[in-house]
Amino acid sequence: MMTNNALPLPKASGRDAPNLRELYARYGILAALLAVCVALSFANEFFMTWGNWADILRQTSINGILAVGMTYVVLTGGIDLSVGAILAFSGIVSAWLVASGGAYGVGTSVLAGLGVGLSMGAVNGLLIARFSVPPFVATLGMLSAARGFTYIFNDGMPVSDLPPAFLAIGDARIGGVPLPILIFAAVIGVFWFVLRYTIYGRYIYAVGGNVKSAKTSGIGTRKVVFAVYAVSGLLAGLAGILLAARTTAALPQAGVSYELDAIAAVVIGGTSLSGGTGSLTGTLLGALLIGVINNGLNLLGVSSYYQQVIKGVIIVGAVLLDTSRKKNT
Amino acid sequence: MKRLKTLALGVALTVTLAGAATAQGQDRPLRVGAAVYGLKGEFMQMWSAQLKAHPSVLDGSVKVTIFDGNYDALTQSNQFDTMITQKYDAIIFVPIDLKAGAAPVQKAVKAGIPVVGSNTRVAGDVLTSYVGNDDVVAGRMEAEALMKKIGGKGNIVVIEGPIGQSAQIERARGNDEVLAKHPEVTVLARKTGNWSRAESMSLMENWLTAFPGKIDGVIAQNDDEALGAVQAIKSKGMDITKIPVVGVDGIAAAIGAVQRGEMTTNFQDAQAQAQGAMDVALRAMKGPSYQPRSTIWTEYADRMPWGDGTAKSYTVPWTEITPENAEAFLKKVKPQ
Repeated sequence: MMTNNALPLPKASGRDAPNLRELYARYGILAALLAVCVALSFANEFFMTWGNWADILRQTSINGILAVGMTYVVLTGGIDLSVGAILAFSGIVSAWLVASGGAYGVGTSVLAGLGVGLSMGAVNGLLIARFSVPPFVATLGMLSAARGFTYIFNDGMPVSDLPPAFLAIGDARIGGVPLPILIFAAVIGVFWFVLRYTIYGRYIYAVGGNVKSAKTSGIGTRKVVFAVYAVSGLLAGLAGILLAARTTAALPQAGVSYELDAIAAVVIGGTSLSGGTGSLTGTLLGALLIGVINNGLNLLGVSSYYQQVIKGVIIVGAVLLDTSRKKNT
Repeated sequence: MKRLKTLALGVALTVTLAGAATAQGQDRPLRVGAAVYGLKGEFMQMWSAQLKAHPSVLDGSVKVTIFDGNYDALTQSNQFDTMITQKYDAIIFVPIDLKAGAAPVQKAVKAGIPVVGSNTRVAGDVLTSYVGNDDVVAGRMEAEALMKKIGGKGNIVVIEGPIGQSAQIERARGNDEVLAKHPEVTVLARKTGNWSRAESMSLMENWLTAFPGKIDGVIAQNDDEALGAVQAIKSKGMDITKIPVVGVDGIAAAIGAVQRGEMTTNFQDAQAQAQGAMDVALRAMKGPSYQPRSTIWTEYADRMPWGDGTAKSYTVPWTEITPENAEAFLKKVKPQ
């Protein structure tokens, strides 16, 4: 009795509960990731080794880079379905220049690959921002067109026999760390900084939160929207070059349905598909969770069909928890 | 205007073609439709190019149209309807699915159009003939090649094709036949790489972590998967000659890898499948006097005898690619 009276119970629950919810919103995905990691390290002795984590990060880097661009797009309330196709086209152009094209160096061909990605993203941006084509439609069109260009470009054949200097992008190590991981880390770092500490970053949230009020407060919303698709295309180009270097060939059928994995990472990371809220940290954790689960189930020898089921459950589960949280607050 | 131009071109073309055709004792070019399951993979690209390079297509006595089935059974069925309506003289068929391909074939045969199968099988027995490789043999040959390399004992992993696809089922059967004879071989893991280089690379990386220093060899059910495994081993800084990798198909990149001593593979001959099917189809249209024109019949000679061109099935033999013969095969897959 005494203790009950001594504790200001109602007040405490009133204050603590939202804090817990906030805590969950912030760290729920992190907790999920840690829980999976702990479980896997008990289940398999090799899971928690540096070598395995280098694998996970390397395997995650391509989806992770796509997911960074996708986060920008989704934050504005849009969607980019064309990243897998842009990845394939940029990769094959870049690889062709350095291999069959012959005369071009690694630097030039990498820049060309990035340029292809950027310009295709810019076309998306133009269609959406300038001509008000719904993002789903514009990027669906680009998905088809870019894939078509990829097959046309080299008559549907892969580009292989890439020079070692180009392949180094995929398997070189700097201070023991594989280059794709460093590139992924740099991309995350730069785009996290831009989103968090620059005016442009704040504009992205503003446009996604409420376009009209963003417009009335003097933000050039069209420019912001245009830029996120250009960025997404650019990063898809980068991912295409990395993929070609890692697999030692640019295959025209590379990256099919990669856009869905990128969207999954963004959604699991807690970014709202209606725009305005979310973070790159969440996306990073979402991409890592997908990577860790794929890796862990391979280590444990679980069939890849279960991997797909588990990924599906996680995607829906993450959003379900997210919406129930919003209802409560 | 444009239509006129097309018409004029068409007339001119027909006259030229007719000229070429009469030399062979016939008035108009025969129309052959090739319905292939999809043109996104490297192999079907080569197959199509080889079909168009058949001597009778080159000299204009046969006009070939390739229909891309886009990996969809319904699309292929619709394309058969189109070919039947347009009264094609013969159809060469590479179905996406064994069972789903049966009905369209029956429709065409009922309409009096001979159908020759190529590359992948179709259920039923109404096909005029089938020209293709035997995937069970491929599975057997690659497993035997690996057994030879690892001395018939040790631990291996198997990267399979998409589960349920006919090539996966048959190659796996061939793998298993050989593995059953080697009780000292343990299969540590067996999983699909979905014919994908990127997917197989991740899979192999994870296996190298899960079974450190234990994997003695890799069976991959096609070359893209084998190349992914090779790349995974190399990117871990391991010695590729210590973990032999075997694949199937003989695509250009794999032939290059054979030259570098990184893997072993068996050659699936797109030219023999495509041009062989064309010759068999022409024999069905023109009768017993027809002599096959593709060079593949002299190349394989006794290993795939023409007979009188009416056999129900022509099985194209597999050839192991070695560092010595690799150059010749590379010329075959990359004609320039």
